[in-house]
Amino acid sequence: MSRVVESDVCIIGAGITAAMVAERLAERTSASVTVVEAGGRTASLEERSRTRARMLAYGENPYPNDHIADQTGTGEMYRQMVVGGSGMHWGGAIPRYSPEDFRLRSLYGVGFDWPISFDDLEPYYQEAEERIGAAGEQGPPDCDPRSKPYPMPPLPLSYNLARMREWTDGAGIPFWTQPWARNTRPYRGRNVCQRCDTCAVCPTGAKYTPDFAFDQLLADGRIDLVTRTLVRRLALEPGTDRIAVAQAVDRDSPDEPVEFRAGTFVLAGGHAWSSHLLLLSASNRFPDGLANRAGNVGHYMTGHWYVSGFIDLPMRLYPGIFANNSLLSHRFASPGPLDRYLRHDLRLWESDVGRAPRLRDDDGSLLWGDGIMADWRERTDSGATARIRAYYDVIPDRESRLTLDGAMKNAMGDPMPRIDFRSAQATIDLERHTHDTIQGRFEQLARAAGGSMKSTRSSRLFEHPGGGCRMGDDPATSVVDRWGRTHDHENLFVVGAPTIVSSGCANGTLTFCALSLMSAEEIAKGLATRG
Amino acid sequence: MSETRRSFLKQSVATVAAASVAGCAPGASRDSSDRPESAAGAGSAGASAMPLPGETLRAVAEAVLPAELGDRGRERAVAAFERWSDGLEPVAELAHPYLVPETRYSGPDPRPGWVAQLEGLEKECASRHGVSLSAIDMPVRRELLARPLGQAGPGMGSPANASHVAAALMSHFFASPVATDLCYRRGIGKQQCRGLDGAAAEPAALGDAP
Repeated sequence: MSRVVESDVCIIGAGITAAMVAERLAERTSASVTVVEAGGRTASLEERSRTRARMLAYGENPYPNDHIADQTGTGEMYRQMVVGGSGMHWGGAIPRYSPEDFRLRSLYGVGFDWPISFDDLEPYYQEAEERIGAAGEQGPPDCDPRSKPYPMPPLPLSYNLARMREWTDGAGIPFWTQPWARNTRPYRGRNVCQRCDTCAVCPTGAKYTPDFAFDQLLADGRIDLVTRTLVRRLALEPGTDRIAVAQAVDRDSPDEPVEFRAGTFVLAGGHAWSSHLLLLSASNRFPDGLANRAGNVGHYMTGHWYVSGFIDLPMRLYPGIFANNSLLSHRFASPGPLDRYLRHDLRLWESDVGRAPRLRDDDGSLLWGDGIMADWRERTDSGATARIRAYYDVIPDRESRLTLDGAMKNAMGDPMPRIDFRSAQATIDLERHTHDTIQGRFEQLARAAGGSMKSTRSSRLFEHPGGGCRMGDDPATSVVDRWGRTHDHENLFVVGAPTIVSSGCANGTLTFCALSLMSAEEIAKGLATRG
Repeated sequence: MSETRRSFLKQSVATVAAASVAGCAPGASRDSSDRPESAAGAGSAGASAMPLPGETLRAVAEAVLPAELGDRGRERAVAAFERWSDGLEPVAELAHPYLVPETRYSGPDPRPGWVAQLEGLEKECASRHGVSLSAIDMPVRRELLARPLGQAGPGMGSPANASHVAAALMSHFFASPVATDLCYRRGIGKQQCRGLDGAAAEPAALGDAP
């Protein structure tokens, strides 16, 4: 006998995109909303000072019980499965994608155009920034278009970043302050940033985490949040293509199945678990999984790669003033016409790399207390280090895939996801050009300060991943439409990261949130307006 | 001070005090004499304390920590290390690295080994020189310590992963905000919740810090 939970809307997953959808539906409609989360709750705000201290002292996870032991996969994916999702641990960087990201094929003849433009998404970017609480600085309008100011002024430039900005201004490359989901004034009941410099766990509540939104919605009686309950399959209404039920298991009562029945279902499981659930939901009628008539679920997994380095600077800086703020440039994300395709951002941080205390000197001799301090001072007196990184656009490939891994199953026998990322050949062909051009720009910056490159490295980690249920107007080449509605099931939406067409060259969370709000607007059309 | 800052201080100090931690509380004293605690503090997570032989540890500290700390500063650094050691929990779940789906854990308890190392130092010192470690000259003390530190470095690494207690003590101290401030001779206050107001200013020289 199953326990049945009924609502107008069932949101599966309780991360940041679920928070966006739930909040918007709660404000604009009178619909009943149930949010189902496989994980439980983790450290409350009141507990985060203590867990932060232990993270600093011992490297411990500041969010106890934030994952499920046997619910994991292979490939680049987050470990967290908890109320708030990976939005608990994030640093809070919230740049927008650039207008060019949505028109790569039209502008540059590479990759794919999205079915929506930057202008279509811009109001939702703004809304996401207001819900999250964005603190930012307007960059040059041609590189940083926006219709309204940020809700909050930017985080102040530290002494270090101010000196670095004088340097980059002299280099002729415009940099401005990275926008952050951190309060520079009291905002929506949350505190002001106290510059604790451990943003992965913010002890003040200045950084937005989705649990704040859920707690408020629960306090207002606007949603039901069902935790520790793992949705294993979606099932159809007999004789139709509509989703009728999400079949789940209560992890505290595994012998008692739970059925979530709703008029609309929203998958908000991030880049890994949304496609995974669709593939797990295979049936006789849909042997390849739901929303997968054209065979696109799990395909076009995407992310961006980076080149990073450290620059020796002939200036006196003091690492530790504010390591979790940074300078940003989107100058090369909006490059104008190109002979060879390359778009990237630039980020700069203070750093102590090469200037940290050490036990042995350059000759390998062991140092003692005074010797360590003298060696350390010599290296900090002689200059400073800046960390620089460029995320660059990777062209998605259809065979970049999430699949079900029969060799890795959870305790219930469900196969876990396996992600094998790959880029299109175009990115491989351009990789040398990309690396050399970016390194040249690093060196240009270094020279402008009278400094030099200390080191450079390239990474093929697919950062800020998405895809697997990409959006498009053509059901033959996409999984969802521009609103996140699956082509195959009118009452099933996928929101956020899985729906992106490409991942640009900027952190993705704000875009995932904006897309989710766009989906929420469409979902709300079928629901009663809040009176 | 804004109301929100005041309420944060109140909540944070209470929370932190309850956990015997002074580290992230912006209300914690800015007196530099209190800072070693900030670097170390993390309270107890339920691990059983395993006291390190205090006299020998202090004799080691005299050999491996900067003399400019003075007796008081060195004692605070050692006490902070002891508190950190008391709060250490072996095989604890570590913070998840970015985009890594596995769970990672810290290593087994290093403290029995550290206790044995300190006891061994005393025994060796008594055998070779007929006195305790604290009674021998610094060059001889360092000679005794140099051998077990042979595999250490060049970087500091995590104190919990240090193969020798002397390396752990050095790693712990040199990772602290106190050490950073001493190096730069400025009140940087690394990783201490400080508010946004002072971010833009060049950190004050240590003698001028409020």
